Amino acid sequence: MASAQAVAAPGVLARVRRNAWLYRRCLGAHLRSTLEYEADFWIMSVSAVIAQGVGIVFLWAIFGSIPEINGWTFWDVAMIYALVVLSEGLSVLFAQGAWSMAFTVNLGGFDALLLRPFSPVLQVLSSEIGMNGLGNVALGGALLGVSVAHVDVAWTPATIALFVVLVVSAALVKVGLNTATNAAAFWIKTPWSMFAFSMHTFGELARFPITIYGIGVRLALSVVLPYAFMSYFPAQAVLSTGTAHWLGFLTPLVAVWCLVLGALVFRRGMLRYESAGN
Amino acid sequence: MRCVSLIEVAQLRKVFRRADKKPGLAGSVRHLVERRFVDKVAVDDIDLRVEAGEAVAYVGPNGAGKSTTVKMLTGVLVPTSGTVHVEGRVPHKDRIANARRVGVVFGQRTQLWWDLPVRDSLELLRDMHGLSDADYRRNLERLDATLGLAELLPVTARKLSLGQRMRADLAAALVHTPPIVFLDEPTIGLDIAVKDRVRAFVRELVAEGTTVMLTTHDLGDIEDICRRLVIIDQGRIVYDGDIGTVVETYARERTMHFSVAEAPASLAGIAARLPDAAVAEGPSDAQLDVTFDPAVVSSARVLAAVQAEADVVDLRIDEPAIEDVVRRVYAGELGAGGMQ
Ligand SMILES: Nc1ncnc2c1ncn2[C@@H]1O[C@H](COP(=O)(O)OP(=O)(O)OP(=O)(O)O)[C@@H](O)[C@H]1O
Ligand SMILES: [Mg+2]
Repeated sequence: MASAQAVAAPGVLARVRRNAWLYRRCLGAHLRSTLEYEADFWIMSVSAVIAQGVGIVFLWAIFGSIPEINGWTFWDVAMIYALVVLSEGLSVLFAQGAWSMAFTVNLGGFDALLLRPFSPVLQVLSSEIGMNGLGNVALGGALLGVSVAHVDVAWTPATIALFVVLVVSAALVKVGLNTATNAAAFWIKTPWSMFAFSMHTFGELARFPITIYGIGVRLALSVVLPYAFMSYFPAQAVLSTGTAHWLGFLTPLVAVWCLVLGALVFRRGMLRYESAGN
Repeated sequence: MRCVSLIEVAQLRKVFRRADKKPGLAGSVRHLVERRFVDKVAVDDIDLRVEAGEAVAYVGPNGAGKSTTVKMLTGVLVPTSGTVHVEGRVPHKDRIANARRVGVVFGQRTQLWWDLPVRDSLELLRDMHGLSDADYRRNLERLDATLGLAELLPVTARKLSLGQRMRADLAAALVHTPPIVFLDEPTIGLDIAVKDRVRAFVRELVAEGTTVMLTTHDLGDIEDICRRLVIIDQGRIVYDGDIGTVVETYARERTMHFSVAEAPASLAGIAARLPDAAVAEGPSDAQLDVTFDPAVVSSARVLAAVQAEADVVDLRIDEPAIEDVVRRVYAGELGAGGMQ
């Protein structure tokens, strides 16, 4: 048998490229197997649209009786909402595997990942493709399309480019936070991602202008677990409203920080991994 | 650090911390308040060296620490203390480089992607290992010839039977033709035909110079494949040496089973003629067994003694087997330190 190709110590760029390629390959393989269950695909997508749609109806009902909250109109908030749904959708579509961590780690399935020559954290993230993310992306896109027409923004190529960068960064913020919170599985030894899920639910608060909350919640959402950078802050940057809308331009940096945080927590956790006695 | 042997293990130890809970709900609640843990020493200061090309059988009773050792050797577990070097690398620190050089099968748990067809799993591994298409195809063809992979390729891993899964797992572990292979119970639950196929395959690997460490409860596996035997019990290595030697040293006794025309009234007569052997009744009236050490009593003397007392119709000799030694270790007769 021919022996495994010796791979010379690759440069950073080559390594990034290899990792990205393998990530895509893993996702692709899971996409193919997921698509075999066509019914699941439609059920997931439609239920995602319904779940998110309920929130929008709720918003609409609130703004029916109050025209403005802290200076935010319905369409401003709809735009924040669209950003969350969109970035949430992207993170579900491309990194849903984060949610499998509790199960994989605490039922011993993590062994297999450690035996393959590919970064364990990337293997975890790419181990699932969340087809309900498509529903989210579709709904978020539609909501965005409608709200964009109603907000007071001059749409130039520059603002559009900024917008795209912000949406992608917002999705990466979510991926990083999902990784960090789900990596709690290395400490909390149950196969359920309860901790990460409660943090996720907490993050949902950032679907509304966070100025409506007290200082504690605001700090938590913007500093401790900066969920607000997947919605409120980038929306502010696009709308150029609020007292510190420049904060939104930091979203790409915050995304890098969240990803690093996720990787660090994961790595710390991995040192604690104890496998399972068969 | 320069390493002389392919695998070098020194003072290796793994301690698991387990929650010390009283039974029942009350115990669990109590544990929340007053957290108590007990330490379980799974691997207790073991030393081991394996040279390139060796085939080592690693055996021991349930819970002895075999899988834990293999997990530390492959970087899955971080040792509590002590050192592991494989080709000079520390597996848990240099995990990816290590993964390229070793193949691992844990019979108890699959390493395939559970939700993917076997073909997709193998192709993902091809890409992770950076195999060229030509190499991959050649390796796959060869694995197919011994393991009968073709029929498994389109099947989703979760739908495979145990034996099919093991064949696919072996292929996944060996697709990159690793020079070092760890097999932890690779024949568990397999039918005889598949077991033979797997053994033949591992023998072939060994013949090609692959270093193999084989953990098993099926001693048939090791007699076929390995020349060196390492026995671990309660986390300690209690024997490490040549399989032939261990049999000669610790399983010297053979048993002659006689069928006689008519059962003798008493075995005392035979026993008197063979003071250094054990004479016992056989499974039926007209049968008797004599157990002896050939270094002390010759087979000819045993036969002559029995023939003098009874009319021998037939006889059969049980050769000593590796199983006898291992059985005695398991039964606690040859405890830690007793054999080295
Ligand atoms: N992940 C773990 N957490 C806690 N204890 C463990 C863990 N893995 C193994 N153990 C304990 O360590 C000891 C050794 O286990 P190990 O799996 O290494 O045994 P083994 O020799 O492979 O046994 P078997 O023949 O049953 O496979 C056992 O007492 C087991 O309960
Ligand atoms: Mg075991």
